[in-house]
Amino acid sequence: MPSMSRQGEPTAGNSPRYWRTLDELADTPEFREWIAKEFPHGVALEGLSRRRWLQLMAASFTLAGLAGCRWEKTEIAPFVHRPVGRIPGKPERFATAMDLSGEVTGLVATCVDGRPIKLEGNPIHPTSLGGTDSFAQAAVLQLYDPDRSRDVVARSDGQWVVRSWEDFTAALRQRMTATPNGENWVFVTSATSSPTVRRLRKLLEQRWPKAQWFTYEPVHDDFVRRGTRDVFGVEARPVYRLDQARVILALDADLFFESAGHVRAARDFAATRDGNPDRMSRLYAVETRWTLTGSSADHRLPLPPGEISAFVAALETCLARLAAGESLPDIGSTSDQSPRAQYRAAFLKAVAEDLWQHRGRSAVAAGTWLAPEVHAAVARINRMLENLGGPVLYIPVSDPMLARSAESLQALHELLASGNVQNILFADTNPVYSAPAAMKLHQLVERVPFSVHLGLYADETALSCRWHVPMAHFLETWGDAETWDGTYTVMQPMIAPLWGGKSLIELLGLFLDPRKSAQDWVQETFQTRYPHTQGSDWERCLAQGLFRDGTGQVNSLTELADSAKKESFPDAVQRFVAGDKPTEDAVSVLLTADYSVYDGRFANNAWLQEWPDPVTRLTWGNAAVMGVETARGLDCKDGSVIRLEVNGAALVLPVVVVPGIPPQTVIVSLGYGRTAAGHVGGLATENIPSVGVNAYALRSHASQFVFSSVKVTKLPDSQPLASVQDHHLIDRIGLQGRVERLGELVREVTLQRLTDPHEPYSAEEVVHHPPLESLWPEHAYEGHRWGMAVDLSKCIGCGACVVACQAENNIPVVGPAQVMRSREMHWIRIDRYFTGAPENPRTVHQPVMCQQCELAPCEQVCPVAATVHSHEGLNDMVYNRCIGTRYCANNCPYKVRRFNYFYYHKDLDNPRNEVQKMVYNPEVTIRSRGVMEKCTYCVQRIQNAKIEAKNERRPLKDGEIQTACQQVCPAQAIVFGDLADPKSAVAQLHHSNRAYGMLAELNVKPRTKYLARVRNPHPALQAMESDESAANREHTA
Amino acid sequence: MSKPYLPLWFDRARPLFGAILLFVPLYLLGVAWFAADPQTIDIGYSPTQPVPFSHALHAGELGLDCRYCHTTVEKAAHAAIPSTEICMNCHDRIAPNSPKLALVRESYATGQPIPWVRVHDLPDFVYFDHSAHVNRGVSCVECHDRVDRMERVYQARTLRMGWCLECHRHPEPHLRPQDQITNLAWQAGSPEEQQRLGEELRRKNNIQPSTSCSTCHR
Repeated sequence: MPSMSRQGEPTAGNSPRYWRTLDELADTPEFREWIAKEFPHGVALEGLSRRRWLQLMAASFTLAGLAGCRWEKTEIAPFVHRPVGRIPGKPERFATAMDLSGEVTGLVATCVDGRPIKLEGNPIHPTSLGGTDSFAQAAVLQLYDPDRSRDVVARSDGQWVVRSWEDFTAALRQRMTATPNGENWVFVTSATSSPTVRRLRKLLEQRWPKAQWFTYEPVHDDFVRRGTRDVFGVEARPVYRLDQARVILALDADLFFESAGHVRAARDFAATRDGNPDRMSRLYAVETRWTLTGSSADHRLPLPPGEISAFVAALETCLARLAAGESLPDIGSTSDQSPRAQYRAAFLKAVAEDLWQHRGRSAVAAGTWLAPEVHAAVARINRMLENLGGPVLYIPVSDPMLARSAESLQALHELLASGNVQNILFADTNPVYSAPAAMKLHQLVERVPFSVHLGLYADETALSCRWHVPMAHFLETWGDAETWDGTYTVMQPMIAPLWGGKSLIELLGLFLDPRKSAQDWVQETFQTRYPHTQGSDWERCLAQGLFRDGTGQVNSLTELADSAKKESFPDAVQRFVAGDKPTEDAVSVLLTADYSVYDGRFANNAWLQEWPDPVTRLTWGNAAVMGVETARGLDCKDGSVIRLEVNGAALVLPVVVVPGIPPQTVIVSLGYGRTAAGHVGGLATENIPSVGVNAYALRSHASQFVFSSVKVTKLPDSQPLASVQDHHLIDRIGLQGRVERLGELVREVTLQRLTDPHEPYSAEEVVHHPPLESLWPEHAYEGHRWGMAVDLSKCIGCGACVVACQAENNIPVVGPAQVMRSREMHWIRIDRYFTGAPENPRTVHQPVMCQQCELAPCEQVCPVAATVHSHEGLNDMVYNRCIGTRYCANNCPYKVRRFNYFYYHKDLDNPRNEVQKMVYNPEVTIRSRGVMEKCTYCVQRIQNAKIEAKNERRPLKDGEIQTACQQVCPAQAIVFGDLADPKSAVAQLHHSNRAYGMLAELNVKPRTKYLARVRNPHPALQAMESDESAANREHTA
Repeated sequence: MSKPYLPLWFDRARPLFGAILLFVPLYLLGVAWFAADPQTIDIGYSPTQPVPFSHALHAGELGLDCRYCHTTVEKAAHAAIPSTEICMNCHDRIAPNSPKLALVRESYATGQPIPWVRVHDLPDFVYFDHSAHVNRGVSCVECHDRVDRMERVYQARTLRMGWCLECHRHPEPHLRPQDQITNLAWQAGSPEEQQRLGEELRRKNNIQPSTSCSTCHR
């Protein structure tokens, strides 16, 4: 734990106002040493002596000589019958969708020569509007995952034997005939919104009334549904229309990750953050975790998991007072005078008054792990604020398959324990991995005489079953989905099933009518749903990916069935303001779905594993995330190993210290520690260690997410973390002499300052520097001048752009050992900065990619002209010229160049893994070892769009070229275009008063400009926060 | 012990040794250089094709337009090799029993593609786009030469980068009216006339060939 003592000292002028890590804030000697090196660890050919290397080199020269003088003979295999409209090598786009536990994202798949290589958001689909999350971006890698199960297998005498689908169907028929009413049959599925699956289930229930169905999701919304049932009388799920909200309160709710329509939510929220005072929203976050929502918040109050309900109770009573026409007394004076209590009182008052003032235009959201009472209270609050039907909708959940239920697991467990289950089918669900260990589910499943697992992988549950049948990926098969607003969404196969898998629709179809294909079932659903449609409507539905009938009516709940239960005002407020007294050993643990692997289903996806968590910046694994106070109390620092013990279960895992996590609280991500995920996520049968630790081990039926009174022991060992938080730090501190002249890398402005009529704001003029004169003649341009603008005010830090860039540009995965050496290859990274007191900081996210400098320092030092300026202003990277001196990376002030230390695609030469080569984008060169690479502004997209426009003899339209990061961005924070066209969106943004070039004072003339982040703080809280951080500093000094 | 004497001729040949030491490596380097040059190894490369298809007959004698078979040349980067179906459009009636066409008929019947051998093969890091050229007044003949006279297709140009850049820097001698793109025999009256026409077409169609690296390498 770095000492905070420097915080109290008067700053010497080089202490950062924005900092990425606690070491940077404390400016430790280790940190200074770290930042002084571009590549902190020497280049060593691991395990290869110099002599052996020379031998190998000699051998490969000889082989090269023998290989002959011409390229090898290659063959061209043209179509025998080329499908109409198909042009070899030309990308085709088809609408489809992804359904993640009932959460739909409309997509457009880009297919080249019949293989999907990239997914984009469907611009006309209401859930997407063109953006996606990182899961959708990584779905193509999952499609081509060599670890996907390839055969129907059955277990006999403990051995897995490859069988055929016919064998399986025959076995199924035999079991079916034995049970005419479905007695002793159990179906376990994951949550899905598919109308066809729902229809098939109904048909099957009619035929087999005695069969039992369970929908199981380990990351469940049981508490939300229970809470809404208490107030509305029916189970419901909340949906937020953030474009209509001026004041938003998120109670540990991650609106941009786990709420219904989260991709759309990011777009709607970002639209209110552009500094326009007429629509600028204010976001309050009260949270235990560090969510994406919290990191976008104007005010964030970290609270331990137990205290959020106290806050909600206090808020409800405050609002009741305001509703009664009374004003809020000075609630701070009712209790003690400690800064914490003062701040809490002021926060509560500000939130309550702000919400009340903006009733009808506000939204209150609660995280799924919060208790049902909190969700009930939040529904009452939203009702009181007249938000229902406006910014907040409660949509009844009538479909049992849409409920993300974990309560069902208890019922399933009882049923299995009774021994009456003769036949069980698990479809796309993995309860053996995620169920509480005490259930011993694997033993119970093994006892069932006929057990079938349908899944993409032979996972933990499959290993307990008698049969495992491969599931078709959603890009391989027909399917459908339904959004919360009733938009019918269709999924169509982009490629025939690679390994002959079948979807859940096809499997359920086997029970009903084996002659029908998945397409028949889906099309039948469409016709039953929309009986008055014609064939052309179905085709339109396929082309657009969605179908809406004329009504467009959303059935949302507005009336409460149960009146609010009231707590007296002083009690509730005082209880919250005083807070729980933190005691040394009462540590609470909160389990949460992971941004990378969700509930564990993406554990074998290397793109997602290597994708840094938005806040902890951790890759490849989970950790015990704790705040600075907790870490100080336990004497832990990053990489210390602790043991968490509760209810007889224990977890041993490394510590990551993150400022802003409430005291005495530890956050652990779910979804890691898989033992049957695959070669990436962990495979016990082949001795491949699991990535991370399985946090489900703590779970019991009684506690699902929150564990209080957890015993924490610090162990003597430490564990290196594959964390990227210190990597590619831009070296401000090293430039001691110039520190006064360097501007902040991220800039923020309050709405008040931005709209001050007396003193126009300019983000660029924040920094004063001498006139910038170039030593070189500057480039002149005749045609396009490409440029980019990144709006920090819109960026929510979700990191979808990182995965999108990886998919578009064939960026390799390097693995945890290389990440620890700072060798991750991502062309775009999201720097996360903290500012303020380490106990309660704010964050700013800043995507950083190659800035395509006009006077590029990299170009000036390359000895072989491998990086040169193009006629359109790009810094072209010519891989074939690169000899790997790495001078360019050394000279890049933005640290955006990446070097291929190894041939990272080597694994794919293994015949077993060759299928994964299908994910490569043929428009981008695969880089080999020893070559530098970096962001190209997606030059392949630029060139192809230019050629297309020229072929059609028309000028390029503004917005026609979208970079991969821009296209995926759910918040539309990135804009790309032609700076030579003064009317283009990007040129206009470059002239915004919020625009500034990062490190522009170095006179490198970056082509990417950032737009300063606009904050909209509450005036009373803003004044207090600056005081409070001062108070904290005094306190810790 | 006295040192053994070397024969006298050895002494006389001493300057020669120097010359050999100097020139042999240079000579070997020169041989390797020219041997590996596209001029040596690529020009004239004419692999045997699985079907003895004659461009001289089809494109020359019969006068079929290039685009009858290479349908995608104006629309895509690849000028796709025709599908078997295109061959059979004619050959189910013309020479339906020719033994030379056995493989074509077999392909048509079984659905197995004909394994044509690639003649013009650019390295994988080069992104050439046919449509960008044929839509802008650059004829097939500029890179492929008189395919309409080739019994079996061979490579006639080096396709090396300097050769590409030559035209990208000075496109005028290589531009022609859009309606003459696939007329491989077309020629302007004289070099001067070609130059004048090229300049005019370049101006009219705003042809500004890029010589930036990222034009072809990405």
